[in-house]
Amino acid sequence: MEERDGRAGGFRKVRRSREGGSVPGGGVRACSSLPLSAQDTVDRLLRLHFRDGRTRVNGDAQLLMAEMLNVFVREAAARAARQAQTEDLEKVDIEHLEKVLPQLLLDF
Amino acid sequence: MAAAGDGERLLLTQRLKAAVHYTVGCLCQEVEEDKDIGFSKQSIAAISEITFRQCETFARDLEMFARHAKRSTINTEDVKLLARRSSSLLKYITQKSDELASSNLEQKEKKKKKSSAAKGERTPGEKEAAVTENEDSNMS
Repeated sequence: MEERDGRAGGFRKVRRSREGGSVPGGGVRACSSLPLSAQDTVDRLLRLHFRDGRTRVNGDAQLLMAEMLNVFVREAAARAARQAQTEDLEKVDIEHLEKVLPQLLLDF
Repeated sequence: MAAAGDGERLLLTQRLKAAVHYTVGCLCQEVEEDKDIGFSKQSIAAISEITFRQCETFARDLEMFARHAKRSTINTEDVKLLARRSSSLLKYITQKSDELASSNLEQKEKKKKKSSAAKGERTPGEKEAAVTENEDSNMS
């Protein structure tokens, strides 16, 4: 994952600080030199879909939304994983995701 | 001109999708380690596609909530409203929001202490420097 193209900003510093523990030498990863910062990514993601050009997002709301998206991804992944495990499989495939998707969307 | 604008938008969309995909990959890796299971590439790609699309729904809803409150800036109350469907999600988001609010409060108090201490030592001519310290970014 570390060799990935440097465009991604990720959602949140929290995620990065968790990963920082597992990176040898720790500290800030190369991501800091990227054009898109973590918070910026969330902001742009939302602004992409606003209908009114004047709508802005408050700093705290950005952080909360980043957290929300983290939770969303984790839920999706965890539920699909649970589905795969119920079927006694060791690899999560699209079909497992499809089965958990309706309830996931209803819960969000 | 419209075509150039569309091209830019497409480029931005691609960059954002790539960013989302990368993050989703990282998060899935954590879940993989937690649950001792593997994710196929297609499933990771599917999750990032779903997340990206869900952002659109979130963004539109947030915009509507703010507009309903006659505001043009989305704040944490709007995000909390977004999390209303699941009580555990709402609880989690509310908790995070309270944490943020209290850490903001701490920061503000620190700033006040610094600038009032600094003001006491400075001559009147240097007051302008102290004023710029109080400029808030887009926090609340």
